Amino acid sequence: MHLLEVRDLEKRYPTFTLDKVSFSLEPGYIMGFIGRNGAGKTTTMKAMLNLIHRDGGEVFVNGRSFFENERACKGEIGFVMGEFDCYKNATLKAITDVTRRFYPTWDQAAYEDYLRRFALVESKKVKELSAGMRVKYALALALSHDARLLILDEPTSGLDPVSRDDLLDVFRSVIEDGSRSILFSTHIISDLEKCADYITYIKGGRVLASTDVLTFRESYRLVSGDREHLEVRRPKLIGCKEHAFGFTGLIRAEDEAAFRSCKIAPADLESIMIYTEQEDSHETAVL
Amino acid sequence: MKQLFYKELKLCLPVQVPLFFLFAAMLLIPAYPYLVACFFTCNSIFYLFNQSAGNNDLLFTALLPVSKAQVVKARVRFTVMIEMIMFLLLVPMIFVNHRLNPQGNPAGTDGSLTFLAAVLVLFTVFNAVFIPAFYRDETKSGKNFLISTIAVFVWIILWEGFMITAAAAKDALPFFSWAAENLDAFPATAQAWRTQLIALAVGALIYGLGTYLVSRKAVGIFERVDL
Repeated sequence: MHLLEVRDLEKRYPTFTLDKVSFSLEPGYIMGFIGRNGAGKTTTMKAMLNLIHRDGGEVFVNGRSFFENERACKGEIGFVMGEFDCYKNATLKAITDVTRRFYPTWDQAAYEDYLRRFALVESKKVKELSAGMRVKYALALALSHDARLLILDEPTSGLDPVSRDDLLDVFRSVIEDGSRSILFSTHIISDLEKCADYITYIKGGRVLASTDVLTFRESYRLVSGDREHLEVRRPKLIGCKEHAFGFTGLIRAEDEAAFRSCKIAPADLESIMIYTEQEDSHETAVL
Repeated sequence: MKQLFYKELKLCLPVQVPLFFLFAAMLLIPAYPYLVACFFTCNSIFYLFNQSAGNNDLLFTALLPVSKAQVVKARVRFTVMIEMIMFLLLVPMIFVNHRLNPQGNPAGTDGSLTFLAAVLVLFTVFNAVFIPAFYRDETKSGKNFLISTIAVFVWIILWEGFMITAAAAKDALPFFSWAAENLDAFPATAQAWRTQLIALAVGALIYGLGTYLVSRKAVGIFERVDL
């Protein structure tokens, strides 16, 4: 059974539409939720959690409809919506004292362990924390009530590389018993390369792909060649960058045969995202 | 709900709320429009909501394992608790007011059960204007408070104006005479006690029903709001 299933989620704004977003996540895996700024990642997450009023679609957590069982489902989910930005004059101790009362499964030992791991001091006020420390505090709260599903919006933004790496280790340890899963959005694609098992890629409010990382990467190739190779093959290129000696671009794996005379390499997630975002603009970047 | 109340007390309660309960002592002033004392309670409730907006309280609470409806209901009930504390503080004050100032209040309504009924209507007016507007757009709580203040003062002017007029013109019209003797005075006769108890019951009914409808409306608004 899916731990999380999002089915045809819709939200219509005058200038943006979240268009039947669907994906699912099994227990024991990490899914990266990627897309450009404004692609609909945060809107999707907020619509999933009923923070914004959806125009259609369903969300199931552990087989139960989220919207029909909102309280129970929220109890099984740990959320982080960016850095912790509430009650700036309150101490972490006061906020935790309130938060833990909502969760019968609150694990004080785990919470104190995360405080130590993230070097958080409970007597400090929220306004005294840096942006990175606020993210860490939000994560400590989300990780301390034995949530089966973690939904994290940009959890690694604002963190230094060492903290990010530490956090990715935490993510792996959270899911290692096979009963928990993590959905997290990020712009830092290298984080996904390190820990994501699945990718959901959203562009302009539509899911372009939702699959495991290996299949996703294997669906594309990076090609580079001379300018003379470019013109006849341009229609097959998803996106490309021209430079003085030729071009570099992204193709679908099934089009590889057409580029035999070019240099072909496996595609990484960041390149796939960069070139795919060029697809609609019909522009090729000239370096 | 118990946890949400704890959150209100621990993270949301501004110092103005307990501090402004002291305005109940304004009933000790010999000549003053006493309903104004209750406006300060509305003012402290505004501080509660406004501070919550600045603290991203709605988002924090909506992420907890509670429904959006419960977020609103808990805040409305907390507001009711504040108003009821002020109301209960006013009850002994009307007796003290009568003892200190037996000749009555020349600047408006006297301390009486009818005054307490007017207080409940005042709170209903404030709740009806301010609370649903807050859940429609929490960023405009200042503007919403201004509008609710105008509504509250319209009620204060109407009520105090009626009582001052009744006292001044009691010899001109039998109705004013009846109002001045039975409504706008600490009850001196069994008839006045009965009349004022009925007035208080009507006030309580308006407050109870009004607050229930306000809560329902605010829940409906908040369910559709995008956080």
